Amino acid sequence: MRVSIYRFNPETDAKPRMQDYDVAPEAGDKKLLDVLMRLKTMDDSLSFRRSCREGVCGSDAMNINGRNGLACLTSLPGLKEPVVLRPLPGFPVIRDLIVDMTQFFAHYHSIKPYLINNEVPPERERLQSPAEREKLNGLYECILCACCSAFCPSFWWNPDKFIGPAGLLQAYRFIADSRDTATAARLAYLDDVYRLYRCRTIMNCTEVCPKGLSPSHAIERIRLALVRESS
Amino acid sequence: MRARSASAPKFMNLSQIRFPVGAIASIGHRVSGVLLLVSLPLLALALDRSLRSESEFEALRDLVSEPWRALLLVILVWAAAHHVLAGVRHLLMDIGVGSRLSQARTSAWAAILAAGIIALAAAVRWLS
Repeated sequence: MRVSIYRFNPETDAKPRMQDYDVAPEAGDKKLLDVLMRLKTMDDSLSFRRSCREGVCGSDAMNINGRNGLACLTSLPGLKEPVVLRPLPGFPVIRDLIVDMTQFFAHYHSIKPYLINNEVPPERERLQSPAEREKLNGLYECILCACCSAFCPSFWWNPDKFIGPAGLLQAYRFIADSRDTATAARLAYLDDVYRLYRCRTIMNCTEVCPKGLSPSHAIERIRLALVRESS
Repeated sequence: MRARSASAPKFMNLSQIRFPVGAIASIGHRVSGVLLLVSLPLLALALDRSLRSESEFEALRDLVSEPWRALLLVILVWAAAHHVLAGVRHLLMDIGVGSRLSQARTSAWAAILAAGIIALAAAVRWLS
């Protein structure tokens, strides 16, 4: 199997280059991450993030043959060769496939990704009806891998101002939560020409989400909530 | 951290990214919009002249007999068709109509193909 990987070492390279590897997957190798781990034993200078190896931690997000995805969820059968691996588009490269996600997480923190409720807490937990809980499905599962934001043209051109699909999906996760009492403040923060309205409904985010979520649908719900609030 | 990011390279070569059909419909919407904006003064001028007299109308029609001018017109027909179709698609999706991924893919294909067919019809009309 031939794999072509984006290489960049800030200490020795003036600019990035592509390096080809030939590797023979073994019987137990099912996913792209297995091949990367095998390559790592051949060349220990190759750098990439990985942790859970089962699509939960979101750390091995990369551009695989031109589309963003998780190496650990990408099956080897059906992968077109050479498999071309590059870092997430638009993100500053720290080394090889490792990108700097500082900006991405700054946007995430800006939407206050936690339940806000200043009412006196009940003796036990805050209850939700099954219907209220149902509204969180398709939102809470986000693993913040950044596949979506790094495939969004609006985020590429305005990474410092547009919150991006991942941040907006997380924002809607708390707007939709019946236990949260800060909906008006959350919507007021998002009601901005850059933060929210840079989204042009291209839907690249939904196309590449490895968890099958739809950030574009969450963004649509935020826009409709803002319309309802202003009318 | 900030200093490192400022000097760090970014992978941002659009030719190496495999765009979904929705992205192609969207960039087509942008490109066609620019083409229409740039050509609008000329088209308005042409409309004004064509309405002055029959002879001026015929003179304008003769202009299109030149293949490269006809080709420009075909491109503008594509731009108008794609811009309207992709624009209506975006408007509908903004209010939640056809915004599911499968529907959005279908409507993107439909807008691209319909604009292509309209441009093809114009090409047959003016270039054959």
